[in-house]
Amino acid sequence: MAIVKATKTPARSAPISESSILGWLQKNLFSSAFNSVLTVFTTYIIYLTVNGVYIWGFADATFVAETRRECYGNSLTGACWAGVIDWLDNIFYGRYPREEIWRINFGGILLAFWMAPLWIARAKGKVLVGASVVVFYPFLAGYLFSGGDKGLFMQVMISGAIVAFAINMANAIAGLLKQQSIVRLVIGSLGQTNAADKTQRNLLIALVAVGFGAAYLWQSSWTVEFVTWTKWGGLFLTLVISGIGIASALPGGIILALGRRSKLPVLRVLSTGFIEVFRSVPLITVLFMATTMFPLFMPEGFVLNKLVQVIIAVVLFNACYMAETVRAGLQAIPKGQFEGAHTIGLGYWGTMGLIIMPQALKHMIPNIVGSFIGLLKDTTLVSIIGLFDILGMLRSISKDVPWLGLHKEPLIFGAILFFIICFAMSKYSRHLEVKLSAGNNH
Amino acid sequence: MKLTSILTSLTAAAVMATTGATVASAESTLDIVKKRGHLRCQVGPPSPGYYNLDSEGNWYGLDVSVCQAVAAAIFGDKANLEIQSVSSQARFTALANGESDMLSRTATWTMTRDTQLGIDFLATNFYDGQGFTVRKDSGITSAMELKGAKVCVTTGTTTELNLTDFSRQNDLGISNVTFEDYNVRDDTYLNGGCDAVTGDKSSMAGNISSFPVPGDHMILPTTLSKEPLASAVRHGDSQWSDIVRWSIFALINAEELGITQANVDDMKATSKDPNVLRMLGAEGNLSDGLGLENDWAYNIIKAVGNYGEIYEAYMGHGPQGIGIDRAGSLNALWTDGGLMYSPPMR
Repeated sequence: MAIVKATKTPARSAPISESSILGWLQKNLFSSAFNSVLTVFTTYIIYLTVNGVYIWGFADATFVAETRRECYGNSLTGACWAGVIDWLDNIFYGRYPREEIWRINFGGILLAFWMAPLWIARAKGKVLVGASVVVFYPFLAGYLFSGGDKGLFMQVMISGAIVAFAINMANAIAGLLKQQSIVRLVIGSLGQTNAADKTQRNLLIALVAVGFGAAYLWQSSWTVEFVTWTKWGGLFLTLVISGIGIASALPGGIILALGRRSKLPVLRVLSTGFIEVFRSVPLITVLFMATTMFPLFMPEGFVLNKLVQVIIAVVLFNACYMAETVRAGLQAIPKGQFEGAHTIGLGYWGTMGLIIMPQALKHMIPNIVGSFIGLLKDTTLVSIIGLFDILGMLRSISKDVPWLGLHKEPLIFGAILFFIICFAMSKYSRHLEVKLSAGNNH
Repeated sequence: MKLTSILTSLTAAAVMATTGATVASAESTLDIVKKRGHLRCQVGPPSPGYYNLDSEGNWYGLDVSVCQAVAAAIFGDKANLEIQSVSSQARFTALANGESDMLSRTATWTMTRDTQLGIDFLATNFYDGQGFTVRKDSGITSAMELKGAKVCVTTGTTTELNLTDFSRQNDLGISNVTFEDYNVRDDTYLNGGCDAVTGDKSSMAGNISSFPVPGDHMILPTTLSKEPLASAVRHGDSQWSDIVRWSIFALINAEELGITQANVDDMKATSKDPNVLRMLGAEGNLSDGLGLENDWAYNIIKAVGNYGEIYEAYMGHGPQGIGIDRAGSLNALWTDGGLMYSPPMR
């Protein structure tokens, strides 16, 4: 008696409710009478919204016109995107001289190239890339954006930036082609692989020095026209303020957080006081204090740069928020990690830099990026104190006589821009999280 | 116009207390401006007619022209100018603490501001007044017919207080519908959210011109308040006050004498009117007391034109104008029945 079937029963196809669209619909949207009503109702609402937006924003909208009156001539109810299009330069670059806009674009492209190795898995030396961007790029960009005469320090930093950029690019290419760092590649191709470390190092320093000299001579011939900061504006200004804020809030926050957890009483009290004072007042108050009250304490006729004051205020404010985020990360590290670090003989900085901080920051990535996104959006407050950042520009369109009263379209355009930027940041943070926590998903 | 908030008064008073002494003893504002190489002139966030940005990022408007006139009087070139856009909360503080050299914006000349904030108002360049906008088909022809009406108004301004006062005085029972932003206020009105809008007549005229069908709306003749919009400087430097005041008078006087941007060269060379020759610096020494070059007024007119031309360009019917008729208004020349009057320049 054969109770074992000799042949394998063929797999039955999935039930119709699982495999067909109809089945999916039935299961997910029309599983009961109530759900069916809800589905129909929601679909109708979605249809109304999408259709309304489509008619207002596209079908009836005007894209080419000289004035808002012309838009009205086309349609009384449609959107008038022509005003936004007419103002695009203002929205992106502010009052920056139109023939100098290439400098901003060039600065942006330069930054993109500089940072690109961070995204290339095969490139070596990512820490150096990040460090060189933070140390050198601000000077190069600062000169590019504001122009004018450059002092000796500025010249040195610009030359440094050129060299750093060149090395970075070479390193990235070497990484892509040979999977080697540029240092190894140069040494290898010069046939010095077996020489003593010191010789190799001296050779490299000599190479960099020659490059630096060449860069110095090259950049000293550059001349770009001076553009005062009062002409900066639009999305460019927003990104400058928030970029500097983001780049310095994290290091500032780490220092403050360590200070607050320090065993040295003076340091701890100072850090705590600083954090609490700045966290307890609204950003707009800090901005008003920086721009309106600060000049009172300065000597008569003191030349003020409102932009610098605003940036300092934004940096300090966000460093304090970041400090608490970092501290939260530090609290989460179990005591065993500290003890383990001590066991293998690490001191304070070794423990913090090699063991504790990397773990703490990794845990805090969502919070840190959340703060960054908040910072980006907070910088629109500067439009209240008279800087024409992107929000200031968007709101000014409705006051320009040809586009009088045009206020909805610019704000919607601004919302879309902000969404793109913030969503990209959020996506990148997710990517970073996944990458860093590969292997310990819990 | 905008209510002087408590904050503004307090900070401005604090400024006066702390810097009043040093301002008087320091070098003159004219010297500071000349040394710096450009004039810092304060306006507000863009406001149609008075100061706006165009799509190229340049400032234009009635008050901007006044700034340019003063810059031209000092430097002979209206480009030596930095326009500072300051929020209305910080406007008097920014003037009093030395950030701005002068203020030319929609600031109403009131006694409190003139006497208590450490600033001096100099000369009115626009006479405004609060009024009502209604739909023509509503049948309302006078503000007295607004009984029980819902009126849209922007909040935090004297406009709102004036409306409440007006309603109480005349027992109208008007209910205020307040907004932060006047674009939203106008949208609400257009969508039937209120029966009338109240605001300064000049800015409402501009706003109406941006409505889908401007002809459907009208401004009622009633005027609730006096709003003389004047330029101001820091208290304590009379020479600087004179320069700004007489730069504005030069604009008005030029119109009265028939000097325009186009004919100013001809007038200077060929005119036989001693008033014209004196003003343009062809004879006499009018500028001595101001500490400026003798052709200061010529430079002003050459740079920005006379008051009538500026009005037509930005307030009137020029391509960048918001379309307010001048004839018959307070802003006409005194010879045409208005209030624009300059003391004689001799």
